Amino acid sequence: MSALPIEDIQVNVLTDVPWITLVWNDPINLMTYVTYVFQTYFGYDKPKAESLMLDVHEKGRAVVSTGSREEMERDVAAMHSYGLWATLQKDL
Amino acid sequence: MFESGLNGQITLTLDVAEREVLGQLFDQVEHLLDELTSQDSSDPLELMLGMNGSTQISQDPALARLFPDGYSEDEHASADFRRFTEQDLRQQKIAALNDVRKGLQATANPAAVTALEAQSWLKALNDLRLVLGTRLEISDDDDFDFDGDEPGMHLYNYLTYLQGTLIDALN
Repeated sequence: MSALPIEDIQVNVLTDVPWITLVWNDPINLMTYVTYVFQTYFGYDKPKAESLMLDVHEKGRAVVSTGSREEMERDVAAMHSYGLWATLQKDL
Repeated sequence: MFESGLNGQITLTLDVAEREVLGQLFDQVEHLLDELTSQDSSDPLELMLGMNGSTQISQDPALARLFPDGYSEDEHASADFRRFTEQDLRQQKIAALNDVRKGLQATANPAAVTALEAQSWLKALNDLRLVLGTRLEISDDDDFDFDGDEPGMHLYNYLTYLQGTLIDALN
């Protein structure tokens, strides 16, 4: 990993306000299905996918990805195509 | 049920009654998708790009579940997101339905299922469970009676079983 010049880092801090994709708990989607979707779409390994799924199940929601607003809109649309209940928002 | 062979080939075994019930249920999902309203647009470019989705979540709980809001606390952004993505999402769901209904016509039993067809089955079965589960008001509450005698609940449990065999086969 190469180091960015200081001024570039500052510009990035100002323009790249991170956005997050949240997946919310719902009573219908199977736990195995949610895990499979996290593995397939995000490419997460099984332990990470299962731990996110359990967060959704037990805490009601989990942050499944972070990035630009456009990237998060893409992820939310993909989650909707799998029938998962997902939203995006600014990372506060 | 779905099974995975030693070579990774997924197969689907269904009896006549299962084919008939699944066909009817998938048809009902398509009817439901037909009810999704689009926004009138006179702009041919918007129509061509599928930017004519509605701007508000459906009043029908099942449609609302299939097409949820994209933003939890921003109505305006949600409306824009819906306008740009909803028709595409609807087309994806219809394409998956068409795939699986073609699969139901297979003469071989068990029938071979390709990797792409398996993805269509996964999404179409899940959409079907979401619609039926929403209609049955399935909930996480501990007092929710999962073994109810309601015919819809038997169907729901069957679909859960079938989807479970597919996820096992894919893993």
